[in-house]
Amino acid sequence: MEPVRERELVDRCRREEPGAFEELVDRFGNLVFALIARTIFDRSRAEDLAQEVFLRIHRGLPYFRGEARLSTWIFRIVVNVCTQEQSHTRTPISLDDPDSRLPAPSAVDRQFTDIELRDRLDKAIQRLPAQYRLLIAAHYLEGVRYEDLATAMNLPLGTVKTQLHRAKRQLRLLLEGDLK
Amino acid sequence: MRCDDVADAIELMAAGELTPDAAVSAHLTTCGSCARSLETARRMESLLRARPAPAAPAQFTSRLMSRIRRASWRREQIVDWIFNAAMIAAALLVGVGLWTALRHTGLSVVSREAMGIFSSGMIAAAQRVTPSLPLYAGATGLLAVALGVWWWASDSPAL
Repeated sequence: MEPVRERELVDRCRREEPGAFEELVDRFGNLVFALIARTIFDRSRAEDLAQEVFLRIHRGLPYFRGEARLSTWIFRIVVNVCTQEQSHTRTPISLDDPDSRLPAPSAVDRQFTDIELRDRLDKAIQRLPAQYRLLIAAHYLEGVRYEDLATAMNLPLGTVKTQLHRAKRQLRLLLEGDLK
Repeated sequence: MRCDDVADAIELMAAGELTPDAAVSAHLTTCGSCARSLETARRMESLLRARPAPAAPAQFTSRLMSRIRRASWRREQIVDWIFNAAMIAAALLVGVGLWTALRHTGLSVVSREAMGIFSSGMIAAAQRVTPSLPLYAGATGLLAVALGVWWWASDSPAL
C-alpha cells in the first residue's frame, strides 16, 4: 500500500469512520496472521495473537505519529507479540517426535520425499530461535520488505540479511543432522 | 579449497544469489558432503518458496471487531466507574468539609437561623401567590393561544 493511502486510512480510522478499521484489518489481516502462524505453529493461538496485534493497533492508532510506515509499525507489533509469546512458552520440538515419526530413511538411500522433507522442515523451523523463525516466515511471504523488518526489529538492514542467512544455515544443519 | 569455505556460500548458491566460481564448482564435484549440503539447501529453498501462506480464518475480521467492541465497552465501563467513584468521593469530601467547618466555626447555629428565615419567607410568598394562580394560568393560556394562531398564520401558505 502506498504511504499516502496508508496515511489516509490511518486518518479515517482515527476519525472512527464506519468501515475504516475493517478495511485496515482486511488489508493486513492475512499477512499478520500468516507471519504469526508461521512463527507460532498453532493455528488457534495464532488467531488469538493476530487479534491481539490488531487490538494493540486499534488502541495505538490515536498515538501513531506516522514517522514510520503503517506496515512497519504493524510489523513491530507483530515482533513484540511473538517475542512475548515465546517468552511465555518454550516447548522444544524434536524432529523425531514419536507421535508423528515418519518412516526413517533407508541407510542406502537417504533421499527424502518432498512430503517427508516438508514435514521435517516444519519441525526444524520450530526448533529455531523465535527471531530466526520470524525472519524465515517474513522472507518467504510476499509483501514483507527487508527494510520494514529491519525497522521493526530495530536492526540494521545488513544485520537482518546476515541473521536470515544464519537462520537458513541453522535450518539446513538441523535437517542434515536429522538425516544422519 | 576447504569444506568450511564452501559452507558459507551454500545458502547463497541455493537461493541463486551467488554463482559458484571454478574453485567452488571443482570442490563440489569432488566433495560428496558439500554437494549433499547444497542439494539439501536447494530443496529446502524451493519448499520454503512454495509453501502457501496460511490465510486468516473466514470470520477473523468479524470476531476481531466483536472483541474490539467488547474491549471498548469494558474501557468505557471502567472510565464510568472511576468517574462515578470520583464524584461520590468529591461529594463526600465537600459534605464532610462543610460539616467540619460549620462545627468548628459555630456557623451551624447561624445557618439554622438563616434556613428558618428562608423557609418562612418562601412559605409567605407562596401564600401570597396562591389566590392569584387562576389569573396567571388564564393569562398564560391566552398568550399560548395567541402565539399558536400567529405561528399557524405565518406558516400557512394561503394567508
